[in-house]
Amino acid sequence: MMNKYIAIAVSLFTVITVEPARALDLIETPAFKTDVAAGKMPPISARVPANPSIVKFNGKTAVPGKQGGKLNILMGRKKDTRQMVVYGYARLVGYDENFSIKPDILAKMDVKEGRIFTLHLRRGHKWSDGHPFTAEDFRYYWEDVATNTEVRNESPPAAMIVNGERPKFEVLDEVTIRYSWSKPNPFFLPRLAGARPLYLFRPAHYQKKYHAKYTAAETLQKQVKAAKKRNWVALHYSVGQQYKNANPNLPTLQPWMLATKPPAKRFVFKRNPYYYRVDTKGQQLPYIDEVRMNVTNNKLIPIKTGGGESDLQARGLNFNNVTALKQSEKQSGFKTNLWRTAKGARWALFPNLNTQDPMWRKLFRDVRFRRALSLGINRREINQVIYYGLAREGNNTVLPESPLYHPRFKNRFTKFDITRANALLDDMGLTKKTPAGIRLLPNGKRMELTVVFSTEESEPSDILELIRDSWRDIGIKLFLKPMQRDVLRNRIFSGLVKMSMWFGLENGIPSADASPQELAPTTQQQLQWPKWGQFVETRGRAGEAVDMPQALRLSALNKKWAEAPTQDGRRKIWIEMLDIYTKQLFSVGIISSVPQVVVASKHLRNVPKRAIYNWDPGAHFGVYRPDGFWFDAKKRKLN
Amino acid sequence: MFNYFVRRILTMLLTLLVVSALVFVIIQLPEGDYLTSYIAELESQGEAVDPQKIAYLKEEFGLDKPIWLQYLSWIGGVVQGDFGRSIEFDLPVTDVIGEVFVFSLILNFSIIIFIYMVAFPIGVYSATHQYSWGDHGLTFIGFIGLATPNFLLALILMFLARKYFGTSIGGLVDPSFENKPWDFAKFMSLLEHLVVPVIVIGTSGTAGMIRRLRANLLDELHKQYVVTARAKGLPEGKLLIKYPLRMALNPFIADIGNLLPQVISGSVIVAVIMDLPTTGPVILDALRSQDMFLAGSFLLFVSLLTVVGMFVSDLLLAVLDPRIRLEGTRE
Amino acid sequence: MSEKLEHFVSADPFNPLEVEELSAEQERFYMASQWRMMWWRLKRHKIAVAAGAVLAVMYLSIFITEFIAPYDLLNRHTDHIFAPPQQIHLFDQGKFVGPFVYGLDYKLNLETLRRDYTPNPTRVQKLRFFCSGDKYEFWNLFEADSHLICPAKDGTFFFLGTDRLGRDVWSRMIYGARISLTVGIVGIAISFLLGLTIGGAAGYFGGWVDNVAQRTIEILRSIPELPLWMGLSAAMPEDWSAITVFFGLTIILGLVDWPGLARAVRSKLLALREEDFCTAAALMGAPPKRIIARHLLPNFMSHLIASATLSIPSMILAETALSFLGLGLRPPVTSWGVLLVEAQNFQAVAVYPWLLFPAIPVIITVLAFNFFGDGLRDAADPYK
Repeated sequence: MMNKYIAIAVSLFTVITVEPARALDLIETPAFKTDVAAGKMPPISARVPANPSIVKFNGKTAVPGKQGGKLNILMGRKKDTRQMVVYGYARLVGYDENFSIKPDILAKMDVKEGRIFTLHLRRGHKWSDGHPFTAEDFRYYWEDVATNTEVRNESPPAAMIVNGERPKFEVLDEVTIRYSWSKPNPFFLPRLAGARPLYLFRPAHYQKKYHAKYTAAETLQKQVKAAKKRNWVALHYSVGQQYKNANPNLPTLQPWMLATKPPAKRFVFKRNPYYYRVDTKGQQLPYIDEVRMNVTNNKLIPIKTGGGESDLQARGLNFNNVTALKQSEKQSGFKTNLWRTAKGARWALFPNLNTQDPMWRKLFRDVRFRRALSLGINRREINQVIYYGLAREGNNTVLPESPLYHPRFKNRFTKFDITRANALLDDMGLTKKTPAGIRLLPNGKRMELTVVFSTEESEPSDILELIRDSWRDIGIKLFLKPMQRDVLRNRIFSGLVKMSMWFGLENGIPSADASPQELAPTTQQQLQWPKWGQFVETRGRAGEAVDMPQALRLSALNKKWAEAPTQDGRRKIWIEMLDIYTKQLFSVGIISSVPQVVVASKHLRNVPKRAIYNWDPGAHFGVYRPDGFWFDAKKRKLN
Repeated sequence: MFNYFVRRILTMLLTLLVVSALVFVIIQLPEGDYLTSYIAELESQGEAVDPQKIAYLKEEFGLDKPIWLQYLSWIGGVVQGDFGRSIEFDLPVTDVIGEVFVFSLILNFSIIIFIYMVAFPIGVYSATHQYSWGDHGLTFIGFIGLATPNFLLALILMFLARKYFGTSIGGLVDPSFENKPWDFAKFMSLLEHLVVPVIVIGTSGTAGMIRRLRANLLDELHKQYVVTARAKGLPEGKLLIKYPLRMALNPFIADIGNLLPQVISGSVIVAVIMDLPTTGPVILDALRSQDMFLAGSFLLFVSLLTVVGMFVSDLLLAVLDPRIRLEGTRE
Repeated sequence: MSEKLEHFVSADPFNPLEVEELSAEQERFYMASQWRMMWWRLKRHKIAVAAGAVLAVMYLSIFITEFIAPYDLLNRHTDHIFAPPQQIHLFDQGKFVGPFVYGLDYKLNLETLRRDYTPNPTRVQKLRFFCSGDKYEFWNLFEADSHLICPAKDGTFFFLGTDRLGRDVWSRMIYGARISLTVGIVGIAISFLLGLTIGGAAGYFGGWVDNVAQRTIEILRSIPELPLWMGLSAAMPEDWSAITVFFGLTIILGLVDWPGLARAVRSKLLALREEDFCTAAALMGAPPKRIIARHLLPNFMSHLIASATLSIPSMILAETALSFLGLGLRPPVTSWGVLLVEAQNFQAVAVYPWLLFPAIPVIITVLAFNFFGDGLRDAADPYK
């Protein structure tokens, strides 16, 4: 069980710092010894910031290690070079293992009244090409890119706009920047710490070469022509995509930098000589010299991992591969760990409250119907059949690892009870049945429901087969329909689909300071009320207005949360929202905390045996800082 | 002769034009376009999609223009040698295809050699010992490859190769050789990795070849001149080689035209499963994500190969087989 | 110069009214119809006959699928997931008991995360024949529950093991035959229809009809198969039911296949229409339709049938390939292709190889069609 303490006391003047300036003796990185001796690279004291981030390992499950080694990983698509930004997880502020937000790249972050953020950089922090990382990089982004109307393809991100207001941006000195709003911005820090981060800075010295304000027009023209782009704006955008991580020339702050020009089947990421994190012994991180990312067919990842072709793998491995992987452990030299996933529900059913069919819309709006559906699902059987009983049965709500958890949220209406479900449906007046036992709708048609799911994963169809049998006992005939993902989503949005199966809450381990927006209609992406969400998202321009009282209450609470002054106030709002959400069962959660298979080479150290595998927060491996993983060189021949 | 040439070439061009339009339509048939699947992917990962960025991408790739206009601009470019840009890779189509083309050639060339080497002896033996147990047995073996679903065989063989020979799964070279210059070790790795795909893809091609060769040879062997030669005392072996075999080579020549495009596009599924760096997986991805120019240009290219191939086979046949020449064009 | 050779000329006087009497056997031989002669030739090809028999058995089984399969298609056993195949024994500790299987003891091994099944020698489960088992609707006409083989009461009979939901692989294979075998036949029917009409018209009428047909054929043949399949499959509306998808799929397969057939028809017709019997028929006033149908077609129908028979296996394989790409049939429709796709993963190859058994009927069917088709083709020209 993780310790959960509050990360940011938004109402107080908070200073979050890390260790004071170092008095460490830095050790030169072996990989660069020759270059430093030859004068091609400055010595380590000039490469690491004056006050680097000193990493303390807990001494039990993680210890300081040795530098060196090459890590092989497998990815399913060429664009997965971006995963190195996720795994590298160098962030201005980031989540630690306990999911508290702490400064990382920043030496300090001052937050006043939740609306004034002062960022303190580390003096002497340099980009991966040796150029200084200063407030200029922030100014360049804000003034010359985000708010520059000439750069049409970039605009201030949503997380930086509060009630339509842009922040006031100030550069206080070369290592201090301030963003101020008139109202609190609770989304700012979580977005900065996100798996796909909010970038407030660019490598100005590099990007200026492609910007009309700083480079002569003829040079720009030549570059544009050579790159076959339409204009300088397009080229500027294309070379500067930090998250996409596909440009080897783009300077970075991440622990490993791309050294292979795409397209390629194998991408090599070399260690960043100017990385800002060191261990207590004075060794510069990352420990691992090189990460080799082999791009292969997604479907081959399990069998290749089983063959020992990956040193650290989670992506592409499904739970149903675990038996075969365990079998191959000895021959291929790796260990199979089971981490926990942290979605509110791995799989949930979403009755579409905005479906076009008026008959079904009426049924879905009746809470008794939703509850009957939930009571008619044998979650225990699903858990046993598909997950060996290792997952958690329950609603689509927060998990026990969250401070907001309460068992009654998880267990409401989830105990398999056919009698009770039938009683609810009879209560609704749906008592007419066919000879085979299928109930009839009020208009005389049979109660046949088609549940739609994406073709990408195999589990939904298995789970639905199991549900089909138990729903037959409550008089509902279930049809399965797999569909291509984009077609599926479009049909849900337009109301053509009555019910779909998809993941539940993205963040199942929130603290009170995380946004509860997933529980209220906020975006079209919510499959249970796409049109209401769209209405809110587009501020009334499209979609339908929310017209159910409980959903309206959730919307109101969501708004209140953003304005709540105290953390306790936010917590109260969360609890009320969770209460309403689980009472109303707007989505019917089936199973959560499904184990995630994580394979690690038996020589790789500091990889947690048990941990949480989640996208945001979590960045998959990110919060466990792979820059601190190291190879036990004694047992392994470095190749 | 010259007139025939010209007419043939004109028809070929016309065919290609129609094919290009058809291909373009086929790519556009599934709902949506490249951006819809791109957006859906982002959304399903919980990433907010910036509508401004989408509008920008739409304009960048001309997806906001009507279909016929997109087609015309593409065809116009093709004629000038510009095959358009791949949305997915953000690179010119020629760059993307060029990377994988060499490997495609190597793979398919090996497969063709394999097919000929296996089909020839089996076909000859089958024909000369018709209805014998040898005939049945060898044909059986030759057909087993055809009968087994490729994708399953590929997976099983890859697994076994890894288990017993340590061959890394998928790809045409061991991952440690990627991005490295060619040397002897890399070449050996290539050969090692060619074994499974060649067997899987080749065995399904041998059956057809055996059948054709056998049928043709049988036809010839029953002809009068063979009976005469035998009666005159020519030894069986010499008899076989001198006359009927030449005629039986007909299908080989006729098939050359067909073989190359078929092998390029016919091995798509196996290439996808085995993650081979050939054109197959690239095209499948392009078709799925509706990366129009990449998919369209490649399909057009394959069609070009087919059409030219048919033309070349016809020519070769005419050269090799005087009967066809002398019989004239019977339209 | 030695003795003169014997005369072959009979010394009997010539009788102009004499009719040569054929013995019964000779009559059968000389007056045999084309089809009869084809059959005789076919019989010579032993393998083809065997293959034909196999196919006949398979196709006949489609009619009594529910009866043959021990379990219903959707029947699943939560406590026997990924159970290995159960061997049929006859002797229990030396005593003849009759066909039976040993019951399986199940344990979930959380170390290896594997379900371990051990046959328990004390639990002897005798198989029943012509017994009562899962209920089914025979041809949607009436309810029945009679099966050829059933497991013992409260017992199990997993001849080829079970899959990830505990469904019997052997039963699913039998049900899969229904779909896979039908796909080939229906697809060929469509291809036949298109190929005959278009090829026939092209071959007979010549001129611009021929030109247009030839161009179309050439165009269709130069587009690689895969994108055609993908495009056409993707064009199928999403809200079609499984059955409609099935027919849509067969239509697509037929649409992609007809050019080959049309070409063959066309070239044959081109050759044949110059023959005298055709001219004679035309002179006698037969309309083109009658000439094609009554005179030309029967001449090469045998070749066409042989061709068609050889195309069916490629359709069956195409169905499996399309299922693999996710474009063809999908669960809950069960075909061999769908079963194989479910086995297309690491754990099936490494841990549960019995999931790969559905490949065997595919191989057998394709081989059978090939041999049978070869035999047909060899026999197709009996006058050779």
